[in-house]
Amino acid sequence: MSKEVLSVKNLNMHYETLSGDVHAVKDVSFSVKEGESFGLVGESGCGKTSVAMSLLQLQADNAKISSGSIQLDGVELVGMNESELRKVRWDGISIVFQGAMNAWNPVVKVGEQIREAIREHYPEKSKAENTEKIESLFKMVGLDAAVIDRFPHELSGGMKQRAIIALALSCDPKVVIADEPTTALDVVIQDQILNEIKKVQQLLGLSLIYISHDIAVIAEMTDQMAVMYAGSIVEIGPTEKVFSTPKHAYTRLLLESTPSVVGEKKKLRSLDGEPPSLINEIIGCSFSPRCPDPSSDCENPIKEMGLVEIEPGHFADNCCVDCG
Amino acid sequence: MGEYIIKRTLQMTVVFFLFLVFSYLLFNAIPGNAFSNLLLNPDLPPDAYNRVLELYGLDKPLFERLQLYIVNFFKGDFGYSYKSFPKTPIELISERLPRTLMLFAIVNIVSFYTGFFIGKILAWRRGSQSETWITLTSVFSYTVFYPWFALMMLWVFGYKLGWLPIGKFLYPEKWYDAPFDSDIVFSSMIKFTIVVSLIQFAAYLATRGIESLSSRRNLRFASLIAIFIGSYFYWNNGAALIKKPYAADIAYHMILPVMVVTIVAFAGTALLTRTTMMEVLKEDYILTARAKGISQKRIRDRHAARTALLPVVTSFIFTIVTIIDGSVLTEQIFSWPGMGQLLLQSVLEEDIPVAMACFSFVGVFALVAHLLADISYSYLDPRIRIKSQG
Ligand SMILES: Nc1ncnc2c1ncn2[C@@H]1O[C@H](COP(=O)(O)OP(=O)(O)OP(=O)(O)O)[C@@H](O)[C@H]1O
Ligand code: SF4
Ligand SMILES: [Mg+2]
Repeated sequence: MSKEVLSVKNLNMHYETLSGDVHAVKDVSFSVKEGESFGLVGESGCGKTSVAMSLLQLQADNAKISSGSIQLDGVELVGMNESELRKVRWDGISIVFQGAMNAWNPVVKVGEQIREAIREHYPEKSKAENTEKIESLFKMVGLDAAVIDRFPHELSGGMKQRAIIALALSCDPKVVIADEPTTALDVVIQDQILNEIKKVQQLLGLSLIYISHDIAVIAEMTDQMAVMYAGSIVEIGPTEKVFSTPKHAYTRLLLESTPSVVGEKKKLRSLDGEPPSLINEIIGCSFSPRCPDPSSDCENPIKEMGLVEIEPGHFADNCCVDCG
Repeated sequence: MGEYIIKRTLQMTVVFFLFLVFSYLLFNAIPGNAFSNLLLNPDLPPDAYNRVLELYGLDKPLFERLQLYIVNFFKGDFGYSYKSFPKTPIELISERLPRTLMLFAIVNIVSFYTGFFIGKILAWRRGSQSETWITLTSVFSYTVFYPWFALMMLWVFGYKLGWLPIGKFLYPEKWYDAPFDSDIVFSSMIKFTIVVSLIQFAAYLATRGIESLSSRRNLRFASLIAIFIGSYFYWNNGAALIKKPYAADIAYHMILPVMVVTIVAFAGTALLTRTTMMEVLKEDYILTARAKGISQKRIRDRHAARTALLPVVTSFIFTIVTIIDGSVLTEQIFSWPGMGQLLLQSVLEEDIPVAMACFSFVGVFALVAHLLADISYSYLDPRIRIKSQG
């Protein structure tokens, strides 16, 4: 069995705001093995980006990690100082940002922006070596070598996104995070980019964290997955298992509200209501206000929330396990 | 690009022509003329006045004079000064212009760099106490009534403390037995400044292509030291050694005007830089740069400041355009014998050929500066591409 590259344990993170603390990440634990693709799914605002930013320690100024640990190859990232973190960023963990269309500095050539990253982490490399590296990355993601000398505004959305993937791979990172990398693109290009990422992931044996609100994409892209709701992971396990035997009511609803995930045609169910505010403390199951068939002890505040193993490697929130 | 420049030049010629006609008509609308005061002298025979007018062609009707003036202007003949007769406006301007340009070139470069630097720091340290204080100071110097401020500085540094000379270009008593004219010394100072700037710029260009950041920095630093050593040897050898005390005298007289104008001028740049920087810092690509592990300083200087530069440069170029007219006030306060004084004096004396030549110079300067601004944008911001049609 391959070793764990990244392991997150009991991570808690909140944003300090004028109306109170927004608990965006609650007791989140998961791990990513070498060469594995890990998916994080959940509706908008559930804290996916907050998790990603915590991994890079790039959270907003008002964000505080109150407890938990993030280990990359056994090295603890929480509490590292800025200069240590700078070494980890991009070389250890790189990221394709959500809405990466604006991730390029408009006045610097694309090649130069990639070069800058390599130069930062491998200052001993020569200019020719760097050019060669960038050209080979461009080839891998299906871009022409001439793009090196282009300015970002000269590229189409799809090309920019391909170039961003090349940028993310430029320092051979241990883990790559892709945070909804296809949101701003049209459907055809979305599909191309997804295929590109999948191809590159398999080719290089990347450890990938793929974040999306679209469970169908997660099915296609990942080996392991976690379902997030209101800041917590409510179900986690091998993607196949989660799809074949979903345990949590929220996972089931997500699956039913997405068309044609696994072949057979079902009547789509819509997900009504809003996720709860992350400011107030939630007692009992956070999904209960929207749950189609809650059982009596679902809202029981005495019951401890927590993940239990239902089959090897497949965990779900204990409350739901009892109900289902 | 070439087509664009030609098209703009044609437009500029038309604008300039209109500018000439209107200026000429406006000067003639001033009551009286340069020689009206002759009429007040009872000792002169009454026809003396008419003879003088005839001599200068002022007896001709306005339209004919205008026509003559424009035709001669485009032939490169600007006439003679009414007041310093044998001299031509060109002679007068070429004596005065370098003094003004030197003073304001230094002021603009210093105030642009300090303003940009301070603005950058302000945006970066947003919310700190030093930010509040520096911002307050900047707003003060941005809004202060300039003549009052200049006179206060003169009073403090020139009179109360006595550290710096009260106005003027040099101490005449030091120059009684100088082997040369002050303009010769001054022009060699200008040449020196230009050569130093060119060397520095060349060093910057030459090191641009170096991949390793630290060796790039070291080389640039070394070139700076080399320039210092080089200048030391230059001023302590040969012809320059004789000029040194005189050059020092002129430089000493420049300190106060440069300081005062800089204090007033830097604030606009600083406040504008601060605002645009704060906008840029919110951009996604700043986050990308941080994620890449780039140092804070480099993010600030290379990613944020580089993009924030654009609107700052725009406003800076507009300030450059106002150098000559802005110099009227400054040169008057500091008795600096430059273009500003010449312009004011010639207008007051209705010395139309000189005034017209000064104004034409200001006009050409403004038009060319705007053209250069447009061209330099396309280098600063690759998103702006100058289209040859449209
Ligand atoms: N800087 C911040 N200050 C305060 N609250 C924030 C901040 N950033 C995010 N939040 C809040 O934290 C919660 C989680 O946000 P996050 O961006 O992690 O969600 P997400 O799952 O990535 O959503 P999306 O699918 O829309 O990207 C949201 O309720 C959001 O409003
Ligand atoms: S715990 Fe109960 S209320 Fe919560 S999701 Fe499961 S079934 Fe629904
Ligand atoms: Mg997000």
